[in-house]
Amino acid sequence: MLNTLLPILLFTALALAVLGALRRVRMWRRGRPSKVNLIGGLLAMPRRYLVDLHHVVERDKYMSNTHVATAGGFVLSAALAILVHGFGLQNKILGYALLVATVIMFSGAIFVFKRRLNPPSRLSKGPWMRLPKSLLVFAASFFIATLPVAGILPANTGGWVMVAVLGLGVLWGVSELFFGMTWGGPMKHAFAGALHLAWHRRSERFGGGRSTGLKPLDLEDPKAPLGVEKPADFTWNQLLGFDACVQCGKCEAMCPAFAAGQPLNPKKLIQDMVVGLAGGTDAKFAGSPYPGKPIGEHGGHPHQPIVNGLVDAETLWSCTTCRACVEECPMMIEHVDAIVDMRRHLTLEKGATPNKGAEVLDNLIATDNPGGFNPGGRMNWAADLNLKLLSEVKSTEVLFWVGDGAFDMRNQRTLRAFVKVLKASGVDFAVLGLEERDSGDVARRLGDEATFQLLAKRNIQTLGKYAFKRIVTCDPHSFHVLKNEYGALGGEYLVQHHSTYIAELIAQNKLNLGQHKGGSVTYHDPCYLGRYNGEYEAPRDVLKALGIEVREMERSGFRSRCCGGGGGAPITDIPGKQRIPDMRMDDIRSTEAEVVAVGCPQCTAMLEGVVEPRPLIKDLAELVADVLLEEPAPAAAKAPAAKREPAEVH
Amino acid sequence: MSTKVISLVSIGAHPSSGRTRRAEQDARAVELGLQLAGEHLQVVHAGDHREEALRAYLGMGLDHLDVLEQPAGADVLGVLGDYLRDAGAQLVLTGSQAETGEGSGMLPFLLAEQLGWPLIVGLAEVESIDNGTAQVLQALPRGQRRRLKVRLPLLATVDNAAPTPRQSAFGPARRGVLAAQDVAVVDDELLADAQLQPARPRPKRLKVIKAKSGADRMKAATAKASGGGGKVMKDVTAQEGADAIVKLLVEEGVLR
Amino acid sequence: MSDLIRRDPRVEWIARNRLHPLHAAMQTQQTSWMGPNGLMRKNTHAIAAGFMGPNGIKRIDRSGAQQGTAAGGRRSAAAEVQLPLHQVVDPAFYIAVVPDMVGGRLGAHDKDLLGLAHSLAGKDGAVLAIVFGEHKESAFDTAGVDRLLVIEGDAYKGYAPEQLVQGLRAVDNQFAPRHWLLPDSRAGGGELGRRLAAAMGERPATRVWQVKDEECIGRAGAGQQDLHRPLARLILASSECADPVSDTRHEALPVELSAPVARSLSRIEDLGSVAVDPAAIAMAEAEFIVSGGNGIKDWDLYHKATAALGATEGASRVAVDDGHMPRNRQVGATGTWVTARVYMAVGISGAIQHLQGIGACDKVIAVNMDPGCDMIKRADLSIIGDSTAILQALIEAVENFRSGGQRDAA
Repeated sequence: MLNTLLPILLFTALALAVLGALRRVRMWRRGRPSKVNLIGGLLAMPRRYLVDLHHVVERDKYMSNTHVATAGGFVLSAALAILVHGFGLQNKILGYALLVATVIMFSGAIFVFKRRLNPPSRLSKGPWMRLPKSLLVFAASFFIATLPVAGILPANTGGWVMVAVLGLGVLWGVSELFFGMTWGGPMKHAFAGALHLAWHRRSERFGGGRSTGLKPLDLEDPKAPLGVEKPADFTWNQLLGFDACVQCGKCEAMCPAFAAGQPLNPKKLIQDMVVGLAGGTDAKFAGSPYPGKPIGEHGGHPHQPIVNGLVDAETLWSCTTCRACVEECPMMIEHVDAIVDMRRHLTLEKGATPNKGAEVLDNLIATDNPGGFNPGGRMNWAADLNLKLLSEVKSTEVLFWVGDGAFDMRNQRTLRAFVKVLKASGVDFAVLGLEERDSGDVARRLGDEATFQLLAKRNIQTLGKYAFKRIVTCDPHSFHVLKNEYGALGGEYLVQHHSTYIAELIAQNKLNLGQHKGGSVTYHDPCYLGRYNGEYEAPRDVLKALGIEVREMERSGFRSRCCGGGGGAPITDIPGKQRIPDMRMDDIRSTEAEVVAVGCPQCTAMLEGVVEPRPLIKDLAELVADVLLEEPAPAAAKAPAAKREPAEVH
Repeated sequence: MSTKVISLVSIGAHPSSGRTRRAEQDARAVELGLQLAGEHLQVVHAGDHREEALRAYLGMGLDHLDVLEQPAGADVLGVLGDYLRDAGAQLVLTGSQAETGEGSGMLPFLLAEQLGWPLIVGLAEVESIDNGTAQVLQALPRGQRRRLKVRLPLLATVDNAAPTPRQSAFGPARRGVLAAQDVAVVDDELLADAQLQPARPRPKRLKVIKAKSGADRMKAATAKASGGGGKVMKDVTAQEGADAIVKLLVEEGVLR
Repeated sequence: MSDLIRRDPRVEWIARNRLHPLHAAMQTQQTSWMGPNGLMRKNTHAIAAGFMGPNGIKRIDRSGAQQGTAAGGRRSAAAEVQLPLHQVVDPAFYIAVVPDMVGGRLGAHDKDLLGLAHSLAGKDGAVLAIVFGEHKESAFDTAGVDRLLVIEGDAYKGYAPEQLVQGLRAVDNQFAPRHWLLPDSRAGGGELGRRLAAAMGERPATRVWQVKDEECIGRAGAGQQDLHRPLARLILASSECADPVSDTRHEALPVELSAPVARSLSRIEDLGSVAVDPAAIAMAEAEFIVSGGNGIKDWDLYHKATAALGATEGASRVAVDDGHMPRNRQVGATGTWVTARVYMAVGISGAIQHLQGIGACDKVIAVNMDPGCDMIKRADLSIIGDSTAILQALIEAVENFRSGGQRDAA
């Protein structure tokens, strides 16, 4: 009896699954074209899944092991079940293998089940609460149905009742796991996820690489769309990526905006994109809503504008582009790309950059800096430092990229400290002076690709005039943009953050350093240095060289929490329940450190914005400059510059 | 609204960098025009149609902008007057003064004189237009407002009290058309005997003490010596503190 | 303070009574003393300076007995010194000035303009001031007005710029002034001057800040350039274009128009002023801002105080973050850069970004608990103390000032 029923069930489910798959593929193909190596991607997929993705999942050992057992068991059992029960290859060995596979899957599913008994808030409920039961039923049903095949039980054990029970069990199991996989059930993640890995828009991320720079828009072609207005404006593999989401909520747990009560939840955002790609409302979403925005009031369609239908604009503007969500995502979904794509439409087509956004962009166009300062004042901070200008010396070892912090009194202290360090090391360095412009970071994160490209192209043109070995900057945002985003526009440079460079100088014994005496220190990883560029060690090496034992925060390294200053978030300024820098300061306070070392002007500004009393905020360059031991000979020349420093405060 | 609204725009200059941009007040004139007439707003510039800064106005959502071709240094009064009369405009909006060139702010006055239209200075808001008259709010110093009723057609200048201009977006700016029209050119004779020079900073007026008696002189001299800035009042009662503050506010003339 | 001279019998008595402990303090001007060689010295100047008697007659008391009254400090308004009278009997030409007369009085800008007019008039010309409607000014003479033309009539009431231009054209016909001077202000002069220029077909020199050697210099464009041009007939001058008249007294002889002014058909009807919330004034424009920060505990009181002071409200970033104030009120590098003449920071310690944002402010007042904070280093006047008490006291002080001020004006 089962021998006829099971193949029917299996093949019907498989056929429906194929139909569903075709339907899903058609949905993805509504997206815009994207250059992807289809075959190569598919071939690379197993490795990407088993190695790269596993590295991410492995951070959570429990879930990793559970998933290996469940998914591995399932894939094995599904394949064997199709052979054994579908094609009727009632081979004893295959039977045993299937038994083993279902047992593995079952034991994995038990852990999934246990996890779902008291799930953390980041996990989606709804159909996802059903999934462990479906897995258990699938595994159990096929286990029992296979016992006769393996010869452990005689055929026809249990008679009709057994057939009915098993039939129902298998029906449930294959519905969820085959049919549901392509028709939008929780198992969709396996199907879409596998293809997403194969045709990922940033294939560089696999095999240990890193790809964090935003992709440029084609501004030359007047017909090319400027950003994403409707779900169908995403590239097809972006849409595919949204479908891969498992709603594990790791992004939600890490998102600083969500924690601050701003109306953003990366998981919900991705699910909203899935709603948009298929059409419908978000009423069925079973996870945490955007803070302050009830579920069920938004809906969309592939060809309807996303903003103010599916997603509110303030959701998009809450993002600090800290990439914590992307870093955490076990499916390697690119949330930040999607958000910036949608922002691009708002800024470039609608002119709807909120709050001070429009003013900042106007300033960038008119003065090359976001504050609207007279560009002629860019070097005022260094009036007494006698810095070499590249326009005079034409070539140099190190090009010191100053950044817009040149206009900010607080950051000028950092810059002066770094100059002091550079001078002490005796390296040959120069600055661009008035020829430097904003790197374009803020403009780009605010979606103004046109202004970014304008600034970038002019900077590239300027840089092209001179010879230098490397660019060093104190600003991780400039660092990231110069290093990772100018390449697409024709500017390839060796760029280093000042922490990396100072670490190098220390390693080469070019700095005569004393020991830090200013109390215990913790270190805050800037997003654009850490997660964007993987530099976690150099700053810590520098601190170590100063005799500092860093009191690490719970959230440090790749899990560092954003200061709230990235992505133009302080400019768009979407209100929440609390401020991101206040939360970060609480992290810092919990280490009881007296000083927090930072390496980014944004972080400095945001953290110093926290009401006192709070730990002191010092840039790495300042900490190093503080303990510089002046050598006898060049000391005379440097002394005045160092002494005048406090005057710069006011 | 069926009233024909035209905004006149010029090329602006950023106050700190001097780089060309949309002029702040002209952008407000466009914004006000867009709020009144929507897509029927007509925007005119007299000058060079190749000037990229004009696109910043298009970026506010205009699909085209008429440019009356004029070389630099031409007197645009005549061509603008003809254009406005021919266009049958009912409400013409301009900024108060240009950010480049002479910037005397005379153009709207001369246009109104030439066309024989009433002129309103510092238009903040148009409350209603009916029956050939407009009811408007005029901005006065220190944020005050006055309600006026004016006969159409009307010429109005806007200043910083008018609504903030919307953001100029790249997409519409790129798509919009700068429609050049060839018109007559009249030279402006101003620069024949006048010259533009980089602005000299104006010296802060020194407090000249023209004391009428020795005692006054003495008082003035001693007051200067003790009031050298940064007076800190510690351990004083709240009343004493408040009195000191009021005294300073009165001296500065902000308390009235 | 009243100009009435009042006697203080007690002070006089102390001044006479050499045994009184306060006697020495009352002798401000020592009229005689023992010289180094034992010779008695007398300061005849001091004696001859004398003092004003109770009837306003100058008295010289060589005995020194009456010194006390002079030293009592009660006569703060010393005798009004009569400035020399500048008379232009038969003016060779006129310099016409149309002052703004904000509040019916000559403002600082008007006085600067009259100073400029006086310098243009020289010895032979007369400064003709044209005032529309009623005024409250009593010091036209010391401000440098040689001839005063008051044009009255209902037609000039309210906002009637076109009628004013008619009036000025009548003046132009009758007096044919060599120069017309108007303040280039938002208070009316800038508009009226341009209307007049358009009506007369004159090309005015605008935003003029210096007139020297038959050349006038005015700001051009967005203020990045100056326009140098030969002296124009119609000059719209900025404030501080010249020093006000201070050395001479003028006749301020009233003159009249010989012919009635044509009535212009009004196309603009004035429907009166509209009430505006002072707090709604744009921050960057406000000239007096009171900002609240973390140190404010009672925000209702703060709002009351700003209302009493008639100040525009501002806030530190922290106050905005904590939701006490809207974001558009934030002052600082990350908020609005303000240019207020007086900036009062209550309970703001002064983060660098905030201090940057108030860099252009003239006078800064700080109210703070912490005497070491950065705001106090920046401030011109700092009150160390509890903000609540000081704000409370400030409201009372302002009310006192207002009631006192009104009594003075009456």
